[in-house]
Amino acid sequence: MRVGIISFAHGHAYSYTNTLAELEGVKIAGIADENENRGIKAAKQFNTKHYLKYEDLLNEPIDAVIITSENSNHYKHVKAAAKKGIHILCEKPLAHNLKDAQAIIEVCNEHQVILQMAFPVRFNTPVMKGKEIIDSGQLGRLIAIKATNRGTNPAGWFADRSKSGGGAVIDHTVHVVDIMRWYMGAEVKEVYAEVGNLISELNIDDSGMLTMEFDNNVFATLDCSWSRNKGYPTWGDVTLEIIGTNGTLTIDAFGQKNNVYNNEKVYWDFWGDNMNKKLIIDFISTVREGKRPSITGEDGLKALGVAIAAYESSEKNEPIKLK
Amino acid sequence: MLNILVIGAGTMGRMHAGSFAKMKCVSLVGIVDTDLNKAAKLADQLDTKAFRTYEEAVQQSLVIDAVSICVPTPVHKEFLLKAADDKKHIICEKPLARTLTDAKEMIMYCSERDVKLFVGHVVRFSPEYIKAKLAVEKGVVGKPAVVRTSRGGKFPVASNDWYTAYDSSGGLVLDLLIHDFDFLRWCFGEVERVYAKSSRGRVYERLEYALVTLRYKSGVIAHVEGSWAHQKFTTKFEIAGTEGIIDYDSSKVVSVLTGQNQSNSGGGAAVPESPLEESSYYRELEHFVHCIKTNDDPVISAADAYKAMEISMAVLESIETGKAVTLNNNVKELI
Repeated sequence: MRVGIISFAHGHAYSYTNTLAELEGVKIAGIADENENRGIKAAKQFNTKHYLKYEDLLNEPIDAVIITSENSNHYKHVKAAAKKGIHILCEKPLAHNLKDAQAIIEVCNEHQVILQMAFPVRFNTPVMKGKEIIDSGQLGRLIAIKATNRGTNPAGWFADRSKSGGGAVIDHTVHVVDIMRWYMGAEVKEVYAEVGNLISELNIDDSGMLTMEFDNNVFATLDCSWSRNKGYPTWGDVTLEIIGTNGTLTIDAFGQKNNVYNNEKVYWDFWGDNMNKKLIIDFISTVREGKRPSITGEDGLKALGVAIAAYESSEKNEPIKLK
Repeated sequence: MLNILVIGAGTMGRMHAGSFAKMKCVSLVGIVDTDLNKAAKLADQLDTKAFRTYEEAVQQSLVIDAVSICVPTPVHKEFLLKAADDKKHIICEKPLARTLTDAKEMIMYCSERDVKLFVGHVVRFSPEYIKAKLAVEKGVVGKPAVVRTSRGGKFPVASNDWYTAYDSSGGLVLDLLIHDFDFLRWCFGEVERVYAKSSRGRVYERLEYALVTLRYKSGVIAHVEGSWAHQKFTTKFEIAGTEGIIDYDSSKVVSVLTGQNQSNSGGGAAVPESPLEESSYYRELEHFVHCIKTNDDPVISAADAYKAMEISMAVLESIETGKAVTLNNNVKELI
């Protein structure tokens, strides 16, 4: 199978491509990146060809493409790939706005290509274990979920609203809303959010606290802030506290680590499973077997809808109903 | 010597009476409880007298300078009014009252009679919280931005199971989360608005769980978790700012862990502890005693206690209505 990558604008591209390089029967067909320096460097690193124009990469005989460009370029890149009948793994969020997200789903349907969302947290082993525990029914009826997905302001295009669609809220909400939907098979009915630009000098939201009401009578909150500072021992987290009538469940997706105390810095050395790798393996097997993707474009759209509604809520200081 | 009468021999009454009994400058003159056996048992342990009613204690005791009200919230007012009429200074457990109207009336009643009123917001005397506040004031985290707190454990067991009666206790939000609302206001100032959800009305099991978002006038966003749905009492906080983060998790502070083997092959239970010479309750009550003696202003005023209740009430309103509730911040007349 020949797989291409469009853009290394999103840092996840490195981890995804690393996995492609390890997989048997997969060939990295090339890397398209309009940022020439970045593209040439990446192509060299992965021993493949750099294309300045993504159209040129898509003209090659490839089966699938991973799109890790800026959020605002997802539609352009998805459309071009879909028209060539190339299957797609799209980085999250699906797009920087709902209009593009809708169009992405439509164009993939129209051309009958697989569109999978890159929500790697679904493949995090402790998070998967959590799904198993919930499905077993041992927690009883679910009441609430308290979640965090904190991080650090990535700056660059992430802090440019025209390219990203927003800051911490759009960047981190989608991961956790996807997990909550997956855990419960329920949809968000209403969202309230307090959003702020309280931490970084960059003019973009970096603090966000969402409260959600699901259609199964469960409520949830999510702290999606880019609130980890330079001295913090790790980049961020994904945690879930699930409350049921018969018990509670606490998931710390990146809690498997050693604490390291070096003279220069203190950090957490993670030794858990590589969720990005598991995501890529899943996508490749989906393409190979022509399956329905484990995480669909609709999943991406639903998660994005919550983030967009959160912004609206924070402007109006009132809860927003989802359509 | 300050003569103190403790009213209520439940969990908090035991805590207060035990602390007063240890203080050299305090004489614990008695313990009142309608369940005289309960009062007598505690009084025996602490070498003091037991009374069935406040009136009996007043008639029989020579001098009472102050009372400590440790009865369920809805009965606070009844005892407070009696004690204030008798010109006794008053230490009252939190929350001051079940309603803001009552709280206001109680505060006015005391101030009109020149009786000091102290409300037991013990978190202001807990070293982990004080340390964090001082660090924030020193600028350790830069400008505070996103703050999280957690508090909770098992559903409380108390006399007549009064916690299950929401109309009496105000549930988790008024009884437990008021600690965090007061601490956060102490650190970050006045609240602009709140939004909250709770398990109330969703489940009928013996548990309660609430998640609250508070927005402060300073811009700070805080998230408060309250639980009577967990297995073990735990408190946590995290303060993240522009320059740093402070976090604390009581479940991870285990300075003494006693393990007891069940058999030669091991197994059994381990009991974690974080012992201090003086508990937060002792420190709090010692401070109130000091303020009575010296006329100093307490670290937590009655107006602060009212404000914390006001935040709790706004949170309850948000849970009830499903809407964000903006605080009107117009209780200046109380201060």
